[in-house]
Amino acid sequence: MAISYELLKTVTSQMYARSLRHVPVEAQRALSKASADEPDPLARRTLDLMIDSAQQAQQRDHLLCSDSGIPTYAFKIGTRVDFEGDVKAAVRDGFHELAATSDPPLLKHVTNPLTNERGYEGKDMPIMSFDLIDGADHVEIVCSPKALGTGRWSTSEILISPTLQEIEEFVLDAVVRAGSQACPPMIVGVGIGGTFEHAAHIAKEAILRPMREEAANPIVRDMEERLRDAINATGFGPMGTGGRTTAMAVHVNYSSGHGFTPVAVNFNCWIDRRYGVRIGNDGTVTHDV
Amino acid sequence: MREHHLTLPLTPGITDDVLAGDIVHLSGEVVMSIGLPTFRRLRQELHDGVPPPLDLRGAALMHISSSGRRLDDGTHELDYINTTTTTRFDDVMPDLIRGYGLSVVGGKGGLGEESVRAMRETGTIYLSIPGGGATLLSSAVREVVEVHWTEYIWQFQLIKTRFEELGPLTVGIDAHGTSLYSDLKSKAENRLPAIRAALSARREADLRARP
Repeated sequence: MAISYELLKTVTSQMYARSLRHVPVEAQRALSKASADEPDPLARRTLDLMIDSAQQAQQRDHLLCSDSGIPTYAFKIGTRVDFEGDVKAAVRDGFHELAATSDPPLLKHVTNPLTNERGYEGKDMPIMSFDLIDGADHVEIVCSPKALGTGRWSTSEILISPTLQEIEEFVLDAVVRAGSQACPPMIVGVGIGGTFEHAAHIAKEAILRPMREEAANPIVRDMEERLRDAINATGFGPMGTGGRTTAMAVHVNYSSGHGFTPVAVNFNCWIDRRYGVRIGNDGTVTHDV
Repeated sequence: MREHHLTLPLTPGITDDVLAGDIVHLSGEVVMSIGLPTFRRLRQELHDGVPPPLDLRGAALMHISSSGRRLDDGTHELDYINTTTTTRFDDVMPDLIRGYGLSVVGGKGGLGEESVRAMRETGTIYLSIPGGGATLLSSAVREVVEVHWTEYIWQFQLIKTRFEELGPLTVGIDAHGTSLYSDLKSKAENRLPAIRAALSARREADLRARP
């Protein structure tokens, strides 16, 4: 029993294709709730258009957005898993195959920052992160193609022994800076603590946490709710043209650290691009987890 | 919130009646591109007195992305369209708006103050295109009329497309200088002290409730 190169290549390629055509069901529910709660007719109309776009993309197998982003995959690998063949090569080859065969085609977004040349390939592409799950005999993978609309507004700062107030105000300021631009209503992911790179990593994990899952820590749960309400009081609204819902959810993750406390903030647009799978060591694939 | 069905080229003065927050369904020919190099080159050539490869006087020049190709018979086809954030074009748009008297610009996220001033002078409107709306918007494409600067990747090329009832699009900035984006940003910034105070009060209550 082992997870093969061929299976990984096929599944990771499918994940990318599906993430572009699929709004997670929790995000669709959150958009419907936002529409029901929205008194402003323009904002309600924009939300209803998003809901319609999400449903039609799924029914008609159509891309939601022209910016299909750059490929990123987050792996959590059970320590009892065996691989038959190369893992990184499987993901890379799967993406190349998708870029070559996708119908409709994906636009070229992978950009060399030194030359601004664009294509489907490049150094470190697809971006992959790897973590372990002790004792597990399966692999969890989340594909979350990152586009420019939200990617450019991510930010972080190292605060020195901050109070909760300082941390929360940093998050609020990051949202106001993004303003109308990051295709709200968004999911806001926050990482607090650890080291520079770890805070960014756990902020990304926060974004990828399905909306149905609550934060384990009660202090974090409270912070998420009050930050969401504070963000929604700003009034940027759907597509940034005004309304009650600027954030569908705020997800916070934290790590122990030193007296210097990095705080990282990132955003997912209303499409909430994420597609998760679980692959058992026997090759069983569970989609859309 | 009123609803308008506008056909390009726009009748002079018609944008006076189209206000920020209204809805527009747009028909006619739109020049599209999302290339920064494309827009910078357009501005450079405007300054240098080089005529653009297609007539931009009074045109709709919008930040619309697309996937498409040239076919063997010389015609073109589009697979889908959607939009991009327009604030990153802030440094070039004022000159293009004034230089060509553009009637319609648009994308998502708005344009800065100098662009808004230029739009007021020329009677230009900015239409907000819903990001993530590719499924719905693409059905408004009727034909690709002409394509220029093919040395760029497809979505950076200058693509003139004929649409029928592209929309619903929101008027984000009107020809009178009202911008939903700057209004909302100012409102949010003015509200921030009260939002911070409410956040602090709730934090203290939350922490008291969870000893």
